[in-house]
Amino acid sequence: MTTPAARTTALPAESGPGEARRPKELSDLAVLIGGQGGDGTLTVSDLLGRYFRLKGLYIYTSRNVLSRIRGGHADASIRASREPIAAMKSQVDLIVAFDSEAVDVSRAELAPDGTILYDSSVFHSDLPNAVGFPFATLAGGQLGAPIYKNTAAYGAISVMLGFDPALTRQVIEGRFRRRSPEALEKNLKALEIGRQAAIDAGMGPRSVVLDGEARDQVLTTGNQMVALGFVVGGGRFFAGYPITPATEIMEYLMRYLPPFHGIVRQAEDELAAINMVIGAAYAGARAMTSTSGPGLSLMTEGIGHAGTAELPIVVADCARVGPSTGEPTRHEQSDLSHLANLGHGEYPRFILAPGTVEDCFYLTIDALNLADKWRVPVLLLLDQALSQNTVTSAPVDLARVRLDRGKLLTAEEFAKLETYKYYQFTPDGISPHVPPGTPGAFAQVTGNEHDEWGHVSVNPANRVKMMHKRMDKMLQAREDLPSPRLFGDDSARIGLIGFGSTWGPIREAQSLLERRGVRSKFYQARTLFPVPTETLRPFLDSVDAAYVVEHNFTGQFGRLIREALPEQHGKLRSILKYDGHSFRAPEIVGRVTEA
Amino acid sequence: MVQSVKPIPSTWCPGCGDFGVLAAVKKAAAEVGVPVHEQVLVGGIGCSGGIHNFIEINGIHALHGRLLAQAIGVKLANPRLTVIAAGGDGDGYAIGMGHFMHAFKKNASILYIVMNNETYGLTKGQASPTSQIGFEGNIEHPFDAILTALSIPVPNFIARTFSGDPKGMMQVLAEAIRFNRANGGFAFVEDLSPCVTYNDTFKLWREKIVDVAKLPGYDATDRKTVFRLCLETMESGRIPVGVMHRPKSVDPETAALELKLLPDRVGPAVTDIALEPNRAAYERLIQSVT
Repeated sequence: MTTPAARTTALPAESGPGEARRPKELSDLAVLIGGQGGDGTLTVSDLLGRYFRLKGLYIYTSRNVLSRIRGGHADASIRASREPIAAMKSQVDLIVAFDSEAVDVSRAELAPDGTILYDSSVFHSDLPNAVGFPFATLAGGQLGAPIYKNTAAYGAISVMLGFDPALTRQVIEGRFRRRSPEALEKNLKALEIGRQAAIDAGMGPRSVVLDGEARDQVLTTGNQMVALGFVVGGGRFFAGYPITPATEIMEYLMRYLPPFHGIVRQAEDELAAINMVIGAAYAGARAMTSTSGPGLSLMTEGIGHAGTAELPIVVADCARVGPSTGEPTRHEQSDLSHLANLGHGEYPRFILAPGTVEDCFYLTIDALNLADKWRVPVLLLLDQALSQNTVTSAPVDLARVRLDRGKLLTAEEFAKLETYKYYQFTPDGISPHVPPGTPGAFAQVTGNEHDEWGHVSVNPANRVKMMHKRMDKMLQAREDLPSPRLFGDDSARIGLIGFGSTWGPIREAQSLLERRGVRSKFYQARTLFPVPTETLRPFLDSVDAAYVVEHNFTGQFGRLIREALPEQHGKLRSILKYDGHSFRAPEIVGRVTEA
Repeated sequence: MVQSVKPIPSTWCPGCGDFGVLAAVKKAAAEVGVPVHEQVLVGGIGCSGGIHNFIEINGIHALHGRLLAQAIGVKLANPRLTVIAAGGDGDGYAIGMGHFMHAFKKNASILYIVMNNETYGLTKGQASPTSQIGFEGNIEHPFDAILTALSIPVPNFIARTFSGDPKGMMQVLAEAIRFNRANGGFAFVEDLSPCVTYNDTFKLWREKIVDVAKLPGYDATDRKTVFRLCLETMESGRIPVGVMHRPKSVDPETAALELKLLPDRVGPAVTDIALEPNRAAYERLIQSVT
């Protein structure tokens, strides 16, 4: 993409006394705000995000929180860039520390020329690049509550980064206007306290963030886009159980669905959630649940039931560190093997994996369509970073949305049938059907092996035919499944393969590799299972080596590919990370270039 | 006339108490006048859970213990359906206990029939949650679903019937179905349904049952009194049967879950999901939240 002519946002009048050097121009900036849970680190990140968006920048934010309501170290990171981004920067330009632990935890991520801005009313730092302001006592003393330290810190940052004062103020108004006149007034005062402190200390613009042209963007998360995709895709029944990092999907839908005669229920456990969804799907509603590892384990029973009973359900799995309770708030992609082999016995299932928040919207709709058309459970695999990190994204386009309810018959179409068998054998394995309540229609639906009528059967010939009816859907549906996206140089001999949120760091790694003269091409898998051999085989044929980039210990997607394409074994390498944090682009570059 | 699925011959042992339930369900639905295509029977796992195969009806055979969750899903998706969940005591009070308790809390207008035979018949006679102490070496206290149900103050319908009294059972089930059709809330009926093969209690139960309606002070709208009558009956070694609770009046606007969620009774399964009629509303929603 073309970059706009650079415009700086610094105002010379803001420069403090003694400020002589020219501010460094930044087109890509990362700020980390750390403190104790409840310190309001997210507030600062949110305020910065609002400012950067007003300046037309792309932003990406992530949270590093512990699984507790308050207390414990927590930090929020925000990156702003003139280029589209979908990952955190490898180094941070500014650390805002509300306690000393924030410095200890985050110092290793600070760029060599980065700055630490800390609350000197809480601790003192002797680090050469650290600057202290007593935010809590300054704001607390004048405004009566130390909580305004967040806005004061934002004010100081605005001076250090040469923000436009009017826009800086507009951000505060935008956030607090609707709270109360008092909140707005006090936060505006806190802003001035922070600004003045920085100006008095000669902190005038050290670096200046260049303007961008990301004007048409929305700011969202994968979880929010799944929820919106569900609504637009005709999803009308959702049952779930709170679990990090999936809960927001349920919370968003509690707000979004009721105006459309939709129902959202918080169930007593994941067993109930999946079975309520099964009941609703049987009754004819487009139905979904969302969960994460431990909940997925409980839902496994129900998903297998839907697979055999041929009921269309969608399960969104927002993966976190496992197994067991693992690390609830941290990032991993280690559920894939489980999803591919989900449950006892054998039944068809499709696993779709969006790579961007925008993709979350469209693939949720695809998942609903595929479930309805093929009468199978469809698993939508996200990961913590994709689910919860906020990112600027192109707005969704409803003109791209198509709904497909497959062989769902109207009452009139049904009345023209001679016989109605819920599990009728057909060439594509899909049986025409109507929901219960249709005059004249009766069906038996069961997770037991059954004959075409739905009656329990242990007849060996019937068993074989029914297994083919169901299992062959994974072959028959291949052309319907979401296709991969390919990025990079078509003639490159180095391949990268990834799914989910690794899209962001892999795309950045490709740019970094290109600057080093290393050409690469990237296969972003959007269907993971059945393994899309028809596109993976030619991709692998065209490269000398392919790196499967994923967040798990055993290289789960790599193993699935090897199983499906054993002849490609020699070309496949794994780039793995399982420390609970997302890849940074240089890590991928390092692994590719060291080989 | 489209040829749909036909019932298959029952797989139950001759003389099984579940035959009484089968006959009573059919007669009760017919008496209430529920069109057959509007009935959904959700079966559990176990002998009793096969009941949906033996009736011309829309049947869904749930996972073991999960029938209530599926039945509530069906009802909420299309509140115009008459939804009956039917299973055994192991299904409902052991593996399904969590869902059983929450069904009272949810209070959706479905009928749940538990065919209680105090044993796991299909797996050949193990002790169940309602087994008496000493049965197959059982040393745990039997669970009483009626006392538990009465202890939850929710406007609902609670009854216990006996397969040896098919006429009484039919009347109770008809009342329960009417209660559901009026969106009154959850209806729970425990039927004493002996397993003639592994725990034949027909004669014993016939001797022990006591009709609570004939006890002094009985008032089905008064939980406290009925709870006391049931407890006293049990302490004297007898088994209380009859309608244990019915609300003084049905208040559909506040009672049933499906009406709280869907005041106009248009459920998720029957609403128009096509893009065009909803496009403008979708665009407004997306713009307002992103």
